[in-house]
Amino acid sequence: MNGAQWLDAFAAELGRRGVDPETARHVVAEAATHLRESGEHPTQVFGNPSGYASAVADSLGPPPPPPPGPARRPGPVRLHATGISKRYGRRTVLHSADLTVRAGQIAAIVGANGCGKSTFLRICAGLITPDSGQVQVVGSLGYCPQQGGTADFLLADEHFTLFGAGQGISRRQALTDGRSAVRVLGWDAPSDTLARHLSGGTRQKLNLALTTMTQPDVLLLDEPYQGFDRGTYINFWDQLWQLRDAGRAVVVVTHLLTQLDRVDVVLDLTPAATTRGGR
Amino acid sequence: METDRRSQWLRGVLDLCVLALLDEQESYGYQLAQALDMAGIGPIQGGTLYPVLLRLQRTGLIVADWRAGDAGPARKYYRLTETGRQALRHGGHDWQTFSTRVTTLIGKGDDR
Amino acid sequence: MGRLFTIAEMTLRELVRRRGVLALLLLMPLAFYLIRRDGYVGQSIRSLMLGVAWAVSTAALFATGAARELEPRLRLAGYRPHHLYLGRMIGLWALGLVLSVPFLLLVLVDAPDFVRYGGVAAAMLCCVAVAAPFGMLIGAVLPRDLEGTLLLLTVVAVQMLIDPAGTGAKFTPFWASREIATWAVDRTGDGYLLRGGLHGLAVTLMLVLLVAGVFTIRLRRRRHIRYLPAH
Repeated sequence: MNGAQWLDAFAAELGRRGVDPETARHVVAEAATHLRESGEHPTQVFGNPSGYASAVADSLGPPPPPPPGPARRPGPVRLHATGISKRYGRRTVLHSADLTVRAGQIAAIVGANGCGKSTFLRICAGLITPDSGQVQVVGSLGYCPQQGGTADFLLADEHFTLFGAGQGISRRQALTDGRSAVRVLGWDAPSDTLARHLSGGTRQKLNLALTTMTQPDVLLLDEPYQGFDRGTYINFWDQLWQLRDAGRAVVVVTHLLTQLDRVDVVLDLTPAATTRGGR
Repeated sequence: METDRRSQWLRGVLDLCVLALLDEQESYGYQLAQALDMAGIGPIQGGTLYPVLLRLQRTGLIVADWRAGDAGPARKYYRLTETGRQALRHGGHDWQTFSTRVTTLIGKGDDR
Repeated sequence: MGRLFTIAEMTLRELVRRRGVLALLLLMPLAFYLIRRDGYVGQSIRSLMLGVAWAVSTAALFATGAARELEPRLRLAGYRPHHLYLGRMIGLWALGLVLSVPFLLLVLVDAPDFVRYGGVAAAMLCCVAVAAPFGMLIGAVLPRDLEGTLLLLTVVAVQMLIDPAGTGAKFTPFWASREIATWAVDRTGDGYLLRGGLHGLAVTLMLVLLVAGVFTIRLRRRRHIRYLPAH
């Protein structure tokens, strides 16, 4: 790649690693100056954009915690689940679990495999009836299953019109909404591909976009990042934070704990751990 | 000289070398790279040098500002802070002690 | 209305893209017809009806099974249960009707002149009307395509072998089309047409109600959730 392409790729990689835009611009400009003066090829001087961006990000240290700023007061309660219990035969999957999520909050449901995370989410989505407990949802609800939320033999665009029509959205609007929802996650499949021919990660992008495109007040996401590459995974979390800042309530089931420090509420469903989350 | 061993040595002292150069006069990235090369330590690639500069900035040992170049592009100039000067003095002293001991040890090996 | 026809449209799009299903829909009735062709014309026409019935039922079965995972999500997206099952049924009926045309033409061209073509059309209509909700019901109740296909196979076999005048015959779902076909081919009295018509209507209605029941229960709004409007 030539100099300009290298610098563009480098800038993108810095963004992916959470370097704040101001600093990133300085670093890229300095690199550009160095290249101009030395006249050498960027790969020779700096290596590949990704590797150098990692080195830079490491040198800069972790991103500073977001400034307190105008205190983001959590909004009204959007999801209120209390006393959720569920048994399958003799196996107790959930025992009196609670979760309260407000507008402008992200809740993470964590725990080992098989401890009922998906079941809890499906109960909140209204797909399964619990043995006991109540769920209250304020506003519109969107749910993204871990797998299988798409139709094999339909095109991506047809998914958009199908889901849009449920809310009475016109076809053209649904296509616009759906396509932009999927572009945020980095969509690069040709528009005439059947869902069954999409790669796993791409299909999951479609799956997730079908939930986000209608902009529901509450989003319930069941580990929707299966098959995402690192870049998409970062875009996904960026989108979650954007959704949060836009005042939505987001609940994510995840077994990857690395993002927990930027999440507002954590519900740990591991048995014998506390099962109260949120207030 | 074996490149692998050399890059390990450099990793330990490159920041001190940069501080030393900046102690003489303030400078910018490309100029520092050239100076290191001329001193016989280089060639230091940009990919190695700039992360070091960033780290030194982060720990407050150097500060930087952009200046419009007279003939060319704007450059980011670095200079030592007081903390940086102290770090250079201490680090330099430690290095002297350490390298003298190493030289002595290896020298004994050479004699045999 | 819009939601209903969107579901119908997507059902059709999905089915049309499944080459296997299309081949089945076209070849199976044809095969059934040709196998009995050298015999008595009534046999071949009745065979054709059964082939159409089986093919449309199987298509309905597959369509229902494929959509099962998607339906709860569509429910959350704003569809009511009746949009989902009625929409799919309309799509399947439309497919069945379009499918009937070439076979009607086949009979028109190939069968002897004494056959009442109106009757043949009515019998085929009856087949399609019953087959769509029948396949959907099996697909909704049985969890996997394999079990559903085996059940359909059993029903078709019984339908083929049972004596239409016997007592149990009226309990088979496609008895109506057999009766009407008999009226069309054997030029019997109008009683056959009437009986067949009533049976077909009744079975279709009953199956539609059963499908409605199963879908509504499966996609019901659960009692543990309360939805409040956002303020």
